[in-house]
Amino acid sequence: MKSLQEVLRDWEAVIGLEVHCALTKLETKMFCGCKLEFGAEPNTHTCPVCLGLPGALPVPNKAAIESIVLAGLATNCGISKRSMFYRKGYLYPDMPKSFQVTQGPIAFCMNGYLDVRMEGEAANERVDLPEAQGKDGVYIARIGIQRIHLEEDAGKMVHIGGGEGRIAGATHSLVDYNRAGTPLIELVTRPELRTPGEARQFMQKLRQVFLALGISDCSMEKGSLRADGNISLRRRGSAQLGVKTELKNINSFKHLHDGLAYEICRQAEMLESGGEIRQETCHWDPGARRTIVMRVKEAADDYRMFPDPDLAPFDLSDEFVECVRARLPELPDQKAVRFAGDFGVPDSDARRLVERQDLAEFFEACMAFAAEDAAKLGKPIANLLLNDVQATVSADESLDLAASPLSPTRAVALARLLIEGTISTRQGKEVLAAIFAEDKDPDAIVEERGMKQVNDATAIEAAVDAVLAANTTQVEQYRAGKKGILGFLVGQCMKAMEGQGNPRLISQQLARKLDAE
Amino acid sequence: MTFGALDIAGIQAGLRDGAFSAAEMVEQMLARIRAVDTQVHAFLEVTEEMAYAAARLVDAAIAAGAFEELGPLAGIPIAYKDNLNLVGTHTTCASRMLENYQSPYTATAVQKTLDAGAIPLGKLNMDEFAFGSSTEMSAFGPTRNPWDLNRVPGGSSGGPAAAVAAGMLPVALGSDTGGSIRQPASFCGVVGVKPTYGMVSRFGLVAFGSSLDQIGPFARSVRDAACILNVVSGRDSHDCTSQECPVDFLDSLYGGVAGMRIGIVPAFLEAPGLDAEVKTRIEEVTDALRQLGAHIVEVELPNARAAMSAYYVLGPCEAFSNLSRFDGVRYGYCASGHADLSGQYEASRSAGFGPEVRRRIMLGSYLLSSGVYRKYYYPAQQVRTLITQDYARAFETCDCILAPVSPRPAWKLGEVSDPTSMYLADMFTVSINIAGNGGMSMPVGLGAASGLPIGAQLIAPAFHDQNMLRVAAALESVYGIPPVACDVPVARGGE
Repeated sequence: MKSLQEVLRDWEAVIGLEVHCALTKLETKMFCGCKLEFGAEPNTHTCPVCLGLPGALPVPNKAAIESIVLAGLATNCGISKRSMFYRKGYLYPDMPKSFQVTQGPIAFCMNGYLDVRMEGEAANERVDLPEAQGKDGVYIARIGIQRIHLEEDAGKMVHIGGGEGRIAGATHSLVDYNRAGTPLIELVTRPELRTPGEARQFMQKLRQVFLALGISDCSMEKGSLRADGNISLRRRGSAQLGVKTELKNINSFKHLHDGLAYEICRQAEMLESGGEIRQETCHWDPGARRTIVMRVKEAADDYRMFPDPDLAPFDLSDEFVECVRARLPELPDQKAVRFAGDFGVPDSDARRLVERQDLAEFFEACMAFAAEDAAKLGKPIANLLLNDVQATVSADESLDLAASPLSPTRAVALARLLIEGTISTRQGKEVLAAIFAEDKDPDAIVEERGMKQVNDATAIEAAVDAVLAANTTQVEQYRAGKKGILGFLVGQCMKAMEGQGNPRLISQQLARKLDAE
Repeated sequence: MTFGALDIAGIQAGLRDGAFSAAEMVEQMLARIRAVDTQVHAFLEVTEEMAYAAARLVDAAIAAGAFEELGPLAGIPIAYKDNLNLVGTHTTCASRMLENYQSPYTATAVQKTLDAGAIPLGKLNMDEFAFGSSTEMSAFGPTRNPWDLNRVPGGSSGGPAAAVAAGMLPVALGSDTGGSIRQPASFCGVVGVKPTYGMVSRFGLVAFGSSLDQIGPFARSVRDAACILNVVSGRDSHDCTSQECPVDFLDSLYGGVAGMRIGIVPAFLEAPGLDAEVKTRIEEVTDALRQLGAHIVEVELPNARAAMSAYYVLGPCEAFSNLSRFDGVRYGYCASGHADLSGQYEASRSAGFGPEVRRRIMLGSYLLSSGVYRKYYYPAQQVRTLITQDYARAFETCDCILAPVSPRPAWKLGEVSDPTSMYLADMFTVSINIAGNGGMSMPVGLGAASGLPIGAQLIAPAFHDQNMLRVAAALESVYGIPPVACDVPVARGGE
């Protein structure tokens, strides 16, 4: 098979996403008072309504409607004043009423978009965009959102006796209706994504937005955020859409990217060898690194949709929408701009910082504590968080930054020690590790370990002179034009000063002496 | 003591005065049900233990001098159409599909009657899933009309109508989707009220057509029907289509019709298929109302002729969807021995549902399928809007409309066998469900030729159900409360 980039030179990929997001932050289900709880004992959070028992009636959860309106406002959607719930019929044991309550042609949220910043390797996939190429390739992809609608989730089926929980070969199946009736929002993009990279970046951005809104835990692992990808190819320059395949139930960003990339290459190979694409549904097998066909769609499914007569049409008042708008939190993009503007954090660092809610919140707390020094401390603290702290937190999944020994107070104290030159960057890393390990203040650690950086010019000069005297060969090389040798000499000085010399001052003195003589 | 003829006030007076205890009354009524119902077959389940338990509470309250605190239905025996959920009973909808289904919760309207002090006697027969107009579609055998055991009691609420008519009970609850309370009430000579849509919570009523269904009372007197309405109406947080109902239906009940404007629809009285006996009686009723001081005005409902067509689109569509849950997997009839799921579904539903249910499911499935949906469902909704506007316009010039309930009195069992003729029984009732107004059947004597009960339909503007009750009370003063149907052997035990 050709590589993705090779394929994309000849073919344009047309990708649309359907994203399901469970509103896990709500207290109760979509149409009844049952509690939303992941991982509870099976079938303990059920009632006549979510079990679809005869005679039960749905009552819509107002908080779910507020959540979807939040999602719509945050993704530049228009909010429909009037919309309805529909019944979508399908017979399967996971759907106890044999129909799903969802929305019809008009969803609560219509016609929005999300801007996605593409850079680096992911940007390079856009072989048609010159600005996307190279190491510093950057472009903004504006991805249209067709609609976001509200619906209820089905129960969860567990197939016993087959391989890996699959239905094939299973002897029996179990159903857990705890999930039945969970409020879900489904976002449908326009088919405007052109690369697997854009699809992944869109999902990551969407996840950040939904997390910021506080409407879902967005856990792909638990299935509260999942994506289906529709993909078709057409020759570059052609406006006609090809036959699409659907990649179902993707539960990680990487799988989404790899699955789409594989489908693009597979479809290209098929088309180039004169074959035809069948309209089929498949899933990505990350182990085998290929897609597996689940079923071939012969005709369109007939869901027999019609307005749910148990649920009156909604008339959202301007007042309601404005109330929800007033609750709209600062979104990641806005936050990044503020971090850069108010605290002097470099743009790229600010964008990385807001990608992780815990880091962004922690940073915010540090800035509040730093008060008038915030502008000065913003950059070193961002640096500290993005490099060492992120690495520490990522390495240990059970570590919750907010509850860790690294308090904002300690982070600010550490940053002060660094920018005041009291300790070196290298010592800073040691102090940070010690904070996590020993739960002590930075000043105490520095004190205990006698780590203070030596800034005394006389002491530094003594070390520099000694090193220059002991390394005549390197001095000559430097003077002959091999300026890079300076780093070696700085290292020798640091070693002579047992790691406590101020590297910047050492470097300055060395350069002065070497250039002068 | 014949409890069969007593109304709510009579029973409560007897209990209060110590003429009989609640337990004695329950014993007598159960004895009467045992004796009479072998022939009428109104009951699908008799809740003897529940009845005695409730009676003991009533007797204890009387002993403690707290009878009035029990509520407005204190000590009143009641039973429910078998599509109403009541914990401790089966809710079969008269279908094999739900033959063994036990209610895990209680319908709001049922609970309200119990909370008001009523004594539950059991569950009543009906056409399977309420599809029918004769109760012959019950999977457990038909109910017979107590006025003539060879005739049908009407349907689908034939059980409640027959039970009240035969004096097995003073009151019962049924449901009406296209005439299922009013038509059997007229066939059995009792009062039957289909309240305005949204007046009574549907929570716990096994749905047929969700936008058409409404629960309502059967009683022998207008006053008893109003008492039940007072108890069961009002907003329920479990049914978002239900609404507040601050009216006390007893307040204006005996206000008389002097000065009221009663509408008549000339086209209804010229309808083909309207029995001469029924037509004559409706004309007599019109005269009677005029003599009582009502202004009779002619009103037009030009789109009502399309009501049947719209009803047989909307009803089956909603029914198809509502009944799709009965797949035999979690509860209900399950045909075992099928290797694949779709085979099991097909076998379970084919064997679990009777012919009329299957017919409506297939009809609804077809009407909702892509391509067909736009041709039928949309026009039906448009007709619905037009009919609703017709009624709104008509009620600008009148307070209540008088019409026939059924084009003819009760027919013989097996006499009407083809489905479309059966559907025509609802020709005067369905438009009210389509528009959502209140409607009721009021007994106006026996037919001159047939000797069978005839009902007059009274139709009220939405949420003005008190209007029709007031007219009904006036008619009751003319025609009297019909006697307990006499064509059945009455057990005389205890007298």
